Amino acid sequence: MKSDQDVDEIKLTRGRDLIEGSLPLVSLRDVNLGYDSAPVLQNVNLAIYPGSLVGLAGPNGSGKTTLFRSILGLLPILSGSLSRVCPLSNFGYVPQSAALDSQFPLSASEVVEMGAYGRVRSYQFTPKGERERIREVLNQIGLPHLAGRSFFSLSGGQKQRMLIARALMVDPKIMILDEPLSGVDEESRKSITDLLVQLTRERNIAVFFSSHDLEMVQRVADGIVRVDHGQIQLEERKARLQP
Amino acid sequence: MSTLLEIVQPSYLLFPALLGTLILGLVCPLVGSYLILRRTVFLGLTLPQIAAAGVAFTFWLQQTGFLPQLGQGERGIAMFGSLAFTFLGMGLLGYLEQRGKGLAEGRLAAAYALAGGLTILFMVFNPVGQVEVLNLLKGEVIALSRGELQLLAGVFGLVFVAMLMFRREFLLTSFDRDLAFLLKGRQVIWDVLLYLLAGLIIAFGVIMAGPLLIFGFLVLPALAAKPLVSRMSSFLTLSAVLGLVMAFFGFYSSVSLDLPLGPTDVTLGCCLIFLAYGLHRFSAKIGVAMLILASAVALNSGCAREIVATTVPEAKVIRSEQVWLAKVKNSTALPLFLPTNNPLRSLVEMAGKAPSDYRESVMDLVRDGVRRELEQKGYRVALPEDMDARFPPLSSDAGGAVRVAREGKLSGLIFVSEIRRWEGTSQQFVRVLADFKLVRLEDGAVLWDRRVQRAVSTPSATNQGQAYMDAVREIVRDLFA
Repeated sequence: MKSDQDVDEIKLTRGRDLIEGSLPLVSLRDVNLGYDSAPVLQNVNLAIYPGSLVGLAGPNGSGKTTLFRSILGLLPILSGSLSRVCPLSNFGYVPQSAALDSQFPLSASEVVEMGAYGRVRSYQFTPKGERERIREVLNQIGLPHLAGRSFFSLSGGQKQRMLIARALMVDPKIMILDEPLSGVDEESRKSITDLLVQLTRERNIAVFFSSHDLEMVQRVADGIVRVDHGQIQLEERKARLQP
Repeated sequence: MSTLLEIVQPSYLLFPALLGTLILGLVCPLVGSYLILRRTVFLGLTLPQIAAAGVAFTFWLQQTGFLPQLGQGERGIAMFGSLAFTFLGMGLLGYLEQRGKGLAEGRLAAAYALAGGLTILFMVFNPVGQVEVLNLLKGEVIALSRGELQLLAGVFGLVFVAMLMFRREFLLTSFDRDLAFLLKGRQVIWDVLLYLLAGLIIAFGVIMAGPLLIFGFLVLPALAAKPLVSRMSSFLTLSAVLGLVMAFFGFYSSVSLDLPLGPTDVTLGCCLIFLAYGLHRFSAKIGVAMLILASAVALNSGCAREIVATTVPEAKVIRSEQVWLAKVKNSTALPLFLPTNNPLRSLVEMAGKAPSDYRESVMDLVRDGVRRELEQKGYRVALPEDMDARFPPLSSDAGGAVRVAREGKLSGLIFVSEIRRWEGTSQQFVRVLADFKLVRLEDGAVLWDRRVQRAVSTPSATNQGQAYMDAVREIVRDLFA
């Protein structure tokens, strides 16, 4: 069956011991996605396993964000089945920084701290352990010196890395990044892609990111999901960055 | 004692009003900050207007007999109307938001216009209670009683605690709804809670302080704080601090300059915004230092301003015994008659000292009181109208009074009084601005003058008429004691 074959294809992209015996973190079978009963993507079959780095490529308006929003439970699927093996609080979501309202006076550390909000009770001050964790993830993304800076005064690349740090704060099993490299200079692109590869290799986090830059996706990702004209196509790995 | 030190004394007559204003100044900006950040600031304008329509509506129902007349409980009735309309309006706006029809700003603008129109229409339908409704809509926080202060502290205290407790949830749902969903599930509960808290302070605040002041406290401190901070925690803290500054200095200016509190506070809030954008050019430390310096200068100037009040001199001191006591001029545009149930009136009528259509006024009471006290000081008091019945009340402008008196062929001394403001929105006190002068007609020299500009306490009054009489007695005692 075509759908099973597609699911297997993504398995093959990792094709290593890493995923042997493990369940997919997210799997979609014969899923139709869209708004107000009008499907944007049809017959989507997809499985994402721990430690995989999957790129989602396609032109603007092709349905990349729709797919992400459905996986995150923000948009109900129209038909088919979608299963997740971990709760939504274990999903690290990195939105496009341009989608966030620059009206908010927020420091970079306050943005990162939001990732811990799911664990901190309403009446509590931020626990010491969480403050240490913020320092830790800021070190991990290499920007501890910008913690006190206004988030919206940072460059595009710095903002994106801060949002990755925020996603890391939730201690994710899977990270979903919506156009993490758009509006980012070349140097930041490299540091972000290095970081994503590092997360999949060292922490076994599954990373699913979108980009309209197919060449870059081919260069970085283990597997590629292409969306166009309401359909998705799964491609084998073409190349991989070395850690 | 200076005005500044006087108003912070718990024994000060308007101390509950000061505390009430400070509570509004502390809590409203916390809620208003989120309205601004969520770009729903017009909700802060529309909801108070809807609450005002609720107040006018309940008074209209009361006048038509659908609701009982409660006398002293009129604020309770108004509060019910304010709360009901606020939450009804919020529900309707929320429903339309969910339906996603039309522009959000358009819906708010239409709701504001409708609420404003309905407020006026309900007042027109209810000519009997128009003055009471207008007073309530003006929201004289200055007339806050201790009981109302306790209610205000309770409700706003609850909102304050909720805003602190759920600050993370409110921030997350306002800033990134997707992340809020992933971490906390359906965020609609936090939206509802935030708007519920906003509705609560608006519904109560409109009754206590009026729509203008509530809207001012909701948005102005937060707008002033925004350019000065880069952290959310600092933004909320500074908004609340600026709200307190606006409340305190607004109250101080209102009392010392005898200005209405709402417009004074709002004007001050706008000045804070200009100041904040000016300070924004400097570093944060210099900005805060300049703000503290400006506050210190304002405080110091307030402390340094001592008002020395003198009493009317004895007749022998100024070597003159004859004084003409002019009619008291009423410049308030209000008739200032005592209410018709004044028991003294029937006594006066029975004694044949007044015609049946005669109604005693505040001016009469003042003149009688001044006459008694002048006689106590050794003056021989004469009335100008005894010499010429056409003598009008004379203004406190010494030049004008002297000219008219000379034209009337008076000589010696003349005592002139002018009431410029007389507001009795509460039985607990009357706000007064009145000028009194003792002028020598020969050379126009002002031998003594005094301005009474304060809220005169009338704690034992049980009705408006008694409050007026107590206030006159207090003022006269103040002039001559």
